[in-house]
Amino acid sequence: MVEIKICFGTLCFIMGGAAFEMLGEHLPEEIRNKVRVEGMNCPGFCHKAEFGKPPFVMVNQTLIAEANIQKVIAKVREELSHGANQ
Amino acid sequence: MAQTNNATLIRREIITRLCRLYTQGRLDEIDRIPLDMAPRNTAAHNSRCCIHKARAIIRYRIMALLGFNVADETDELETLYSYALRSLAGTDHGNGVLTVVDEACTSCVKSNYTVSNLCRGCLASHCMVTCPKQAIAMENGQAKIDPSKCVGCGLCQDACPYHAIIYVPIPCEESCPVKAIYRNEQGIEEIDYDKCIHCGKCMVACPFGAIMYRSQLIQVLHRIAKADKPVIAMLAPAVCGQFRVNYPAVAQAVMKLGFTGVYEVAAGATLTAKHEAQELAETLESGKPFMTTSCCPAWVEMTEKHLPQLKPSVSATWSPMRYTAALVREKYPDATVVFIGPCVAKQAEARKYEGVDFVMTFEELGSLMIAMNVDFQDFDQEELGEVIPERIFAASSGVLSAVMANYHGEPMKPLVVNGLNKKNIAGLRRIAAGRSDYNMIEVMACEGGCLSGPAGISSPEVARKLFNARAGVQVEAMVESK
Ligand code: SF4
Ligand code: SF4
Ligand code: FES
Repeated sequence: MVEIKICFGTLCFIMGGAAFEMLGEHLPEEIRNKVRVEGMNCPGFCHKAEFGKPPFVMVNQTLIAEANIQKVIAKVREELSHGANQ
Repeated sequence: MAQTNNATLIRREIITRLCRLYTQGRLDEIDRIPLDMAPRNTAAHNSRCCIHKARAIIRYRIMALLGFNVADETDELETLYSYALRSLAGTDHGNGVLTVVDEACTSCVKSNYTVSNLCRGCLASHCMVTCPKQAIAMENGQAKIDPSKCVGCGLCQDACPYHAIIYVPIPCEESCPVKAIYRNEQGIEEIDYDKCIHCGKCMVACPFGAIMYRSQLIQVLHRIAKADKPVIAMLAPAVCGQFRVNYPAVAQAVMKLGFTGVYEVAAGATLTAKHEAQELAETLESGKPFMTTSCCPAWVEMTEKHLPQLKPSVSATWSPMRYTAALVREKYPDATVVFIGPCVAKQAEARKYEGVDFVMTFEELGSLMIAMNVDFQDFDQEELGEVIPERIFAASSGVLSAVMANYHGEPMKPLVVNGLNKKNIAGLRRIAAGRSDYNMIEVMACEGGCLSGPAGISSPEVARKLFNARAGVQVEAMVESK
């Protein structure tokens, strides 16, 4: 299971995170039941420039800045193949 | 229809910075925003040529956000701070609701036709010979079109045996349903305010974000800060599709921003539906063949500027915004009334009638939340009273279904015109010519209704999904759309 955590904070939501409302519809068939999608309240990434720009999404332990659906799916695929190699 | 792309996000970032400076009493630092956003020694934010241009573009965006028409600049050295003070003084700031940031616009294509690399520079030179304006010359073995001479007739494209000439759409012009935006002699897009119906489609279409609405936000913030009179926010029905929370949480968050009170425009919509149903019954009884809705101001302007034959058929019933403003004034006669919605055209409507002082957009509301560190997630979401069914006004076919629910009269033959695009406008022209037997016609300029409004937070699909999950009423096609 790959864990996707989407920041539901107002800043992330307004700066592009709203698009993740459609994540479920865009997840490719083959990974749909290999991920667990959750929301999180603002974890504070938006207050520090070093984390990059919003919106923020965590895929397992990796923080994705300027996240969008394509980036998240790519990261999920990477995590899955990584797991398979071990 | 709002889309979140880089152009939108930069606009939101600027709005947020502007709100921060104002609310922290640092407005005199406003001239630093372009420098901070496009700092020296970095590949500035999507700058297409140099940092100076990037900064100039941000500067003009701020000018629009302070309420000015960019074209009205007379002194290039006037500081943004000076514009800000003029804005707060509240004198009139010129024509039209939308303004073109010409610095950004110059980067777009200059002509609809361009010669691709497939050009062989052939001996026959069919294109050159055919062009009625002598706009084509041979340069380095390939044909080249001079955009200042090209009139966009497309004859060269047909003439080229190699199909080497391609049509490149100009997104704003392509999106405008009434041909109100076109290039002037300098090759910059210009809006003809006598034709513009403020639908906002060009603003959404421009990939450079060159078209901006003239914001009234700073004036609203100023009224809130002055605190000499109540400042009341009225939230358009589409609000239920903007955020990840239910209406009560939005209302509380808006209070946190300093508003004295918050009203739901759906309350006014209840009155609109009731009166419009009555008006329809009377209209049909009097022998007139049909009536159209009047709550979308872009549609009303469409009839005023482009379809005068339909003007008399537009319902005279007030829009939900006007009814809600009247409800506000019953309680707070001297209030500053602020409509907050997804719409550009509402600003034009508000200027026409008494009652509403300012219009803000949802994206401005969201940016202000960010600037003031107000998080929707912190508020209670439970709906306390009954959900107002007229929230459905936010969606295409919703107005009609609400009118139907109140209607008693001869059988209704309804039509939903979902979006003012070229095809639907042609259909409306046929109706104007008397070729239809519909007797009640709903028209919304935005496809999908206000949930797809140009200044909403997210895309129409997201807005629709959130609305269905949170509004307590469902968007469904109750009446077949055309
Ligand atoms: S707002 Fe609408 S009518 Fe006005 S120029 Fe833009 S697309 Fe055309
Ligand atoms: S459909 Fe709604 S958002 Fe769009 S122009 Fe009309 S009133 Fe404004
Ligand atoms: S709102 Fe997403 S990290 Fe703060």
